[in-house]
Formats: sequence, structure tokens, C-alpha cells
Amino acid sequence: MAKPQAEQSVFWLGSFTALTFIVAIVATGIAPSVNPHLNGNFSDEDHYHASYQYVNGQLVQVSSAKIDDSKPVFGYTLLQERGRLVYQREGCVYCHSQQIRPLASEMLRYRIGSSVAPSSDEREYIYDQPHFLGTKRNGPDLDRVGGKYSDDWQYSHLYNPAQMVPGSIMPAFTWLFVNKNPADPSSVPIPTIDARALVAYLQTLGAGREVYDPALNGGKGGWRPWLKLQDAVTNQTMSEDTVHRAKVPIIVPGGSTASSSVMYQ
Amino acid sequence: MAVQEIMQMPTPAPPDKIHHSDEAAKWFLSVALFSLVVFGTFGLITAIKFVVPSFFAYISWMSWPRIRPAHVQGVIFGWLIPVAYSMFFYMIPRLCGTPLYSEKLGKISCVIWTIGVFIGTLSLLNPAGGDHAAGTLNLWLMTKGKEYEDYDVVSNVFLTAGVLLVAINTFRTIANRRYRQIYVALWYAMATVMWTALVYVIGNWPGQAIESTFGIPAAFSGTNDANVNWFYGHSVVGLVATPGAIALAYYFIPKSANAPLYSHKLSIIGFWTLGAIYFWNGAHHLIYGPIPYWLQTIATIFSFLLFIPVTAAVVNFLGTVRGEWHQLRYNVPLKFFVSGVIMYFLVSSQGSFMALRQVSGTVHFTDHTIGHSHLALFGFATMFSYGSILYAAPRMWRRPLYSEGIAEWSFWLSLIGVIIYVISMTISGFYQGILWENYNISFIDTVRAMVPFWHARAGGGAMMVIGMVLMAYNIYKTATSPAPADEVKPLSTGAANLAQAN
Repeated sequence: MAKPQAEQSVFWLGSFTALTFIVAIVATGIAPSVNPHLNGNFSDEDHYHASYQYVNGQLVQVSSAKIDDSKPVFGYTLLQERGRLVYQREGCVYCHSQQIRPLASEMLRYRIGSSVAPSSDEREYIYDQPHFLGTKRNGPDLDRVGGKYSDDWQYSHLYNPAQMVPGSIMPAFTWLFVNKNPADPSSVPIPTIDARALVAYLQTLGAGREVYDPALNGGKGGWRPWLKLQDAVTNQTMSEDTVHRAKVPIIVPGGSTASSSVMYQ
Repeated sequence: MAVQEIMQMPTPAPPDKIHHSDEAAKWFLSVALFSLVVFGTFGLITAIKFVVPSFFAYISWMSWPRIRPAHVQGVIFGWLIPVAYSMFFYMIPRLCGTPLYSEKLGKISCVIWTIGVFIGTLSLLNPAGGDHAAGTLNLWLMTKGKEYEDYDVVSNVFLTAGVLLVAINTFRTIANRRYRQIYVALWYAMATVMWTALVYVIGNWPGQAIESTFGIPAAFSGTNDANVNWFYGHSVVGLVATPGAIALAYYFIPKSANAPLYSHKLSIIGFWTLGAIYFWNGAHHLIYGPIPYWLQTIATIFSFLLFIPVTAAVVNFLGTVRGEWHQLRYNVPLKFFVSGVIMYFLVSSQGSFMALRQVSGTVHFTDHTIGHSHLALFGFATMFSYGSILYAAPRMWRRPLYSEGIAEWSFWLSLIGVIIYVISMTISGFYQGILWENYNISFIDTVRAMVPFWHARAGGGAMMVIGMVLMAYNIYKTATSPAPADEVKPLSTGAANLAQAN
């Protein structure tokens, strides 16, 4: 009689099915994890800074996180970190992705004024835990939303999205606000610490991303924040349509060195 | 081993009349049907909120982004996996000619699993705590915030324990078998519980909670996290739901059609290629994303290789039914299976093409994906499960099915509902993707253009939910109806009609 085949033995069947798993996890799981770009092993010359946030349209450094492999570093301030938790709890990720794909239509769609949104780079996410890359856009992508709207616009939008964007299907996150005296019409809802943290986090999105601008330094070229100063919102409220329908020249984003976005072009 | 050799093997002595009590199978089936109705309704609420955003709005735990993951996790971990385990506990003892290793262990695993699903759902709805009852921000008790691994850490512990106990029961029963040959349905059953345990622990590793509580680096971050997330996310569909449903099909299609399996050789090809290929597909959820280019290319290639296991299984299933097509007139389980097989082929082909960069560039992030996932988990896995329980439930409770008519209604409602759902979502996905390519159209205009499709989706979804309620009611009435006076051979569903037809 022939020896038993794998399919006739519980032991061999189990071993081979486990083997398929091990081979795949080694190839698809471990190899990307040892990618040096993803371990924080890059220097400041690589032009990505995580600890920036737009405050009233100004790009400011709000934490001095330095990359140190020996201990966990979040690169976010405590308030921004809480904002990420609120983002996670409220399930923002189910409707909003955080990745600009290297498609011309996409980089132009998420432009702000004359600043064309550079496609996402893997190094932008090294502090993100968990990742919020997302898989569905019931609402627009948020990866370049920092500096696009004022804090007040964001609060009003969170409290009643359809008021700011007619036709919006976004839920109203009224529980992030407290109205001290609802009976008094002059009493306005006040954002709670959760709402403040969430908006602080939203203003970091894309804030650290730099692009190579050949016109800088008298034609020698140099790196600058992707969102030009005149395009970042100051305190006035902007409507989505005025932002999106502005006619802009196309700028080829240089973005990053040896990154995925370069490979695509 | 050649077929001739198997034929020449001494036929094992017929097992003594084993009384399969099927207690564990009944428990898992009850939990599964209850979850089906609850989490199906969650899905309907999700669909209605697209059309009427103010529907149950202003309550934090009823908001769209909390109901939606509860629906997705609920139908996978509350319905598809328990119903697969229930049918495993029904078919494994019969295929092995031996009682289940331990009915008591099966019942314990069912209780543990149910507690896990309950806690997990609470963690997603997050109804209490925090400022103004907005929900807790405790990382051990709140959602993990990643697709398919949203359940909190506490529920992960219960679900892991549950699947390990089911695995012990499965492997021990098969080790005790009276027949040397292991039928293909058993390979898939063993592989399903093993892959579930392996994949689940990796995907749900509580790195974020450990890191923030104890301050030791324990978590993936950034795109690594996304890569692991989708390795797990695709495996949940491909290596937990798919082999579970295929295991059922390999047992229940030949049984309900009363026809031999078409080809054992094809089943070997299908099984090993499924295991070898499916794990590699995770990165096709991140096509054009910020992950290495080669990883995306690998995922695309392996997505197309999936045609091998899919075609092998589909040919095998349809080949089994060949010559038996007339049964589709009255055999309700077979109707579910044949429509499920066709949708399995459709959804797998669609998935392969969606992994192409050009296609993904247009349809990624749109409703197209939603149609795809429902064609897979409802059109394929749930239809297979429906067919299985319609065949198995009368035999488990040893009494005739309560109503063939209600079973017919649930079939047609499910089929027409899922067709409306998937077609509306597929078209709206292409439409919105093409609208997005014109960057001068503002985002909100592309949202407004989707509203008619969302109405159609809510209608199709409502039909699916009514089908679910009818199915659960039918099985409930079957289980609670008085036992037939004479303990005769249980009536197979369709047998009465078959007698009439002849």
C-alpha cells in the first residue's frame, strides 16, 4: 500500500497549511518592516518633519520630537495625540482616507490655492499608530487638510456639517460640544477638549510635508513646505468651492528622495 | 493514492448507529442566526443613513461611523464564523463516523465566542464614558480603529480562546475518525480554524494599547501597520470566510444534490493553491498607496493567480450539480448553493481585476469596493451558509423544515436584494471614480450624484434583511415545533415536493 498522502494525515495536512501561512508572512510581512525608511532611520535632510501644525495659517513647530530608536516617540503633542484617539473613536477613518495617490487628478483635487498636493510618502506616517490610511472616501481625503480651513470652520463643520457644506452626509458630532444654556438662543455650543484635540490633530495633516522648489535660493533650488504661505488659511472662513475651483498652474511636486512617489513618475 | 487503490481498500465496518446529539452545532447556529438579524439590521441602518443623514443622528453610539464597523465585524464574527463552526460540528462527526470529541467543549467555546462578539460590539458603539458620554478613550476598551480588526483587546482575548477551543475540538474529532481517507471538506474545516487562529492573533496584536500603557515599543506604526492590517484584513475574507464557506459547499452540495463530487483531483488543486496564494493579496488594498511598489505588484500578480483555486472550486461545484439541474425547481438548499457558486466566481474575477493599477486608480475608495465586499460575504459566503443550514437544521432537530415557502421567499429576497445592491454599488463606484478624475468637480457634487444609487442600495439591503429575518424565523420554528411522533428518517428539505413532482 502506498504511503499516506498529505491529505490523509491530520499531522501533515496541518503542517502544510501552517507552512503556507509562514512563507507568506515572512515574504509580505517582514520584508517591508525592515525597510529602513519605515524605521525612522532617516535624517533631517530628508525633509520630513512630523511635529508641525498649522495655527491660524502659520506653520509652527509645536513639539521638538527627535527620532530616537531606543524609545517610542510619537512626534505628536499630547493634545494632538488625544485628537488621534478621538479620530479613532469617532470612526473618521471609515469615511476619510489619509493618502494622496500619485495621480494627477488626485494631487490637483486636493490642492489648496496654487499649492498642488504632493502624493503621500511612507515617511509621513512613521508616528501614526494606528495608521489612518483608510479605504473608503465617503468624504474627501484628509491627508493635506492641515492649514486648509480655520479652526473655527472646523468646529462649525463638526457641529453641523450640512450648514458648512450643503448636501453633506457627514454625521453631526454634537457630542463633542457642550451648550451651557440651550434655552438661550445667544448661547453658543462650546467645543469640548475632545473637539479641540481633534481639530489640533487635523491641522497637523500634511503640515510636515515639504516639496523641492527649483525657484528657491535664487534659482539654486531648495525645500519648502508644500502649502505656500499665501495659500494657508488665516482666520477667515473659506468655502470649499472657492478653494476647489481656483484656476492654478500645475507644479510638478518633487517631494521626497528615493520615495515611492518618485518611482511612480 | 489512485482511485483504484481506494476502491480496493477494505470497507470499514459501518459505524454503530451513532446518535449525533449536535448540541454544540445547535448552540452555534442559534447565536449565528440571532447575530445575523441584529447585525444585518445594523447594515440597513447604515444604508439608510446615507439617504437620510439625520436618521438616528445626534446620539453618539448610533452615529454612522460606529454602527458601520459594528455591522462589518458583527456579520463576520457574529454570523459567518459561528455558522461555519456550527456546520463544522454537524458535518465533521458524520464525515468521520465518530461523535464530536466533546459537545461540552463545543458549547463552552460557543459561550466564550458569543461573549467576545458582545464585548466587541459594545466597544465599537462605545456608549458611555468620557466627556458628555461621548465614549471612552481607554485603548484597552475602545475600537482599534483599523478595518476588520476594530474589536477591542478584551473581546480579542475571548475570540482567540473561542477559536482555539474550536480548533481542539475539530482536530481531535478528525484524529478519532473511523475512515482513513480525509474528505476535502475536512481539510477546509481544519485549515479554516488553523488559519483563523494564526491570522487573528497577528492582526489583533494590541501593540498600541501595550505601548501607551507600559511605554515599551510593541506596535507597528505607519505604513507597516497598514501592511499588517491588510495582510490580516484580506486573510479574514480569504482564509477565514472563504475556506469556511467552501468547506460547507464541499459537504452540502453533494449531499443536497444527492450526487457524487465531480473531481477529487480538482479539490486538491483548489485547496493547496488557495492556501499558497491567498495570503499574498493584502497589499492590493493599498494600490498606489504609500507602501513599496514591489509589494503592490506582488499583490496584483497573486490576485490574478487566485483564478486557479477559484476556477477549481467553481468547476468542481457546478460539475457536481451537472445532470441534476432539474432539482433547482424544488431544492431550496441547492438554489442557494448554485447562485452562491456563480456569485463566488463573479466576485473573485471582479476582485482580480480590481487589483489592476488602472482599475484600482478609478474605483478605489468608491462604493465599488462596498459592492464587491457584499457580493463576497453575502452573495457567496452567506448564500452557502443559508443552503447549509436549510439542509442541516431539519436533520439536527430531527423534524421537517417548518416551511418550504418561507425558505423560497428568503431565497428570492436574498438573491434579488443582493443583485440590486451590487449592481447599484458597482455602477455608482465607476461613476464616482470617473467624476473624481475631473478635479474641477467639487467633492460634494460627486457625493450628491450618488444619492439615487444609495436609494437603490437601501432598497436592496432591506430585501436582504427581510430574507434574513425569514430565514431565522424558519429555523426557529423548525427547532421549536413539536417533534414528529414517529422517529423516522428526518425529512430532507424538498423531499415533499420531490414526492409530488414524481
